[in-house]
Amino acid sequence: MFWERLRHLLDETFLNFRRGGWGVVASIGAITVAFLVTGTFLLLTLNLGTVVAQWAEDFQVIAFLADAITPEQVTLLRKRLEGELAVREVTYVSREEALADFRRQIRGQESLLEGLKTNPLPASFQLRIQKEYQTPTALGQLAVSLRRMEGVEDVLYGQEWVDRLTSLVQVMKILGIVIGAVLGIASLFIVANTIRLAVYARAQEIEIMRLVGASRSYVQIPLILDGTLQGGLGAALALGMLYVLFRATLWQLGASAPLIFSGGELGRFLDVEYRMGMVGVGALLGAVGSLVAVRRFLRA
Amino acid sequence: MIQMFHVSKIYPKEVVALSDITLHVQKGEFVFLSGPSGAGKTTLLRLIFRDELPTSGQILVNGRNVVRLRESKLPALRRSIGVIFQDFKLLMDRTVYDNLNLVARVLGVPEAVSRRKIGRLLKEVGLLRKADETPYKLSGGEQQRVAIARALMSDPAILLADEPTGNLDQDLALDVMRLLVEVNIRGTTVVVATHNRRLVSEMGQRALILKQGRLMEEIH
Ligand SMILES: Nc1ncnc2c1ncn2[C@@H]1O[C@H](COP(=O)(O)OP(=O)(O)O)[C@@H](O)[C@H]1O
Ligand SMILES: [Mg+2]
Repeated sequence: MFWERLRHLLDETFLNFRRGGWGVVASIGAITVAFLVTGTFLLLTLNLGTVVAQWAEDFQVIAFLADAITPEQVTLLRKRLEGELAVREVTYVSREEALADFRRQIRGQESLLEGLKTNPLPASFQLRIQKEYQTPTALGQLAVSLRRMEGVEDVLYGQEWVDRLTSLVQVMKILGIVIGAVLGIASLFIVANTIRLAVYARAQEIEIMRLVGASRSYVQIPLILDGTLQGGLGAALALGMLYVLFRATLWQLGASAPLIFSGGELGRFLDVEYRMGMVGVGALLGAVGSLVAVRRFLRA
Repeated sequence: MIQMFHVSKIYPKEVVALSDITLHVQKGEFVFLSGPSGAGKTTLLRLIFRDELPTSGQILVNGRNVVRLRESKLPALRRSIGVIFQDFKLLMDRTVYDNLNLVARVLGVPEAVSRRKIGRLLKEVGLLRKADETPYKLSGGEQQRVAIARALMSDPAILLADEPTGNLDQDLALDVMRLLVEVNIRGTTVVVATHNRRLVSEMGQRALILKQGRLMEEIH
């Protein structure tokens, strides 16, 4: 009995799939597009978020030093910097270290540096900032006072960028949610429509099944399963495409990627939770869509 | 087996299909439901397997109150009633075998069991060689017999036949009737709706006569 039921369920589901033909293809395609667009936003938002967070953490303020600075001046400067209330940690990066870092970052493209006779990079102090001082005003004041110090040539002060990027990430997040919601609802209706057509195409068979004693769920469950499968498949397909797109983009970025994703962490694809979540949401959309269709068009 | 108490059915726009019907069909009986077209025969049959609900009155089928039957109990009622529809309701794009097997699948009968049963039923109605044909290629009389075989797939306690001789000539009609009588002899309660008065008198069974939705007379 159980196996008969299970077999029926699978048979019916795949039958719907086959009969659905282009309708099913279109349905899955629509879901794929919806998830591809939403997934792209998700991926960009997450990666950009990581990069920005890293920048915020690592490169808050960099004080570049004059090439002519003496070791004594460096020691003095370090003392003064460590005395600043806003500064949590001071790291000295010599010119040689800066060059070595740079070499590491552009690994694979070392040839870019071949023509260099002298080291063009300045030494610097990299400053990590106390949490309380991580505001644009506080950092602005710090930057001003650093520039006045002897031996400091320039101050790179990333907060403005970090703020801008943070709000960009925020905007992208909201945009992604809105677009995702709109496309999600659209694909829900598309699935509903596909299932409605499946119901119509099989109206006579469904009527006969009901008349010879099929329960409502016996008729409905394969249709709902069908929609669920369409949703899940569409989302999974989108995920696959997204991955290919992601790889291709990284490859395209090639040389510049290590600079963008500094700190060794190259762009990350969606975590397994996100991937499962996407397929789950796709399946859920499909299930709800087909449930709506079955409720509305299956009066049997 | 089938009892109706003051049953009326009024379709929208005040179409009175049945009015104040009270009847009783015993277990194991063979009963004709006769009367001119539009008298309400089909409606009465549809009330029995709850394809329609009566506007008023009560209906008992096999001990179940059909009017107050819960949705969850509907499949059990339908499985105990085999129906031969006037328009057959066969799937024209499936084979005869698949048409019968549809019932087996709904009932959850294993394929091996249903294959034997389909073979037996098709032999009984003389269509064993047509198992792999689609009904589309069969004659009206053959389609009728497929419909009969399908109605018997669930070993129903009650068999309802709506105009089973509808467009058959008299010889074929009598063949079909003999088939139904055989089913009845094996214990199934049979109700046959027909407007063919000649057939009714030739068969000499109990007959309920409907006219304009009213039960007029009973012939025994
Ligand atoms: N679904 C329906 N909706 C509205 N009127 C109907 C419906 N079915 C039957 N009728 C009407 O009910 C009356 C009885 O019809 P029916 O039961 O089909 O009679 P019979 O089977 O004896 O020819 C007819 O007047 C018919 O037009
Ligand atoms: Mg009729």
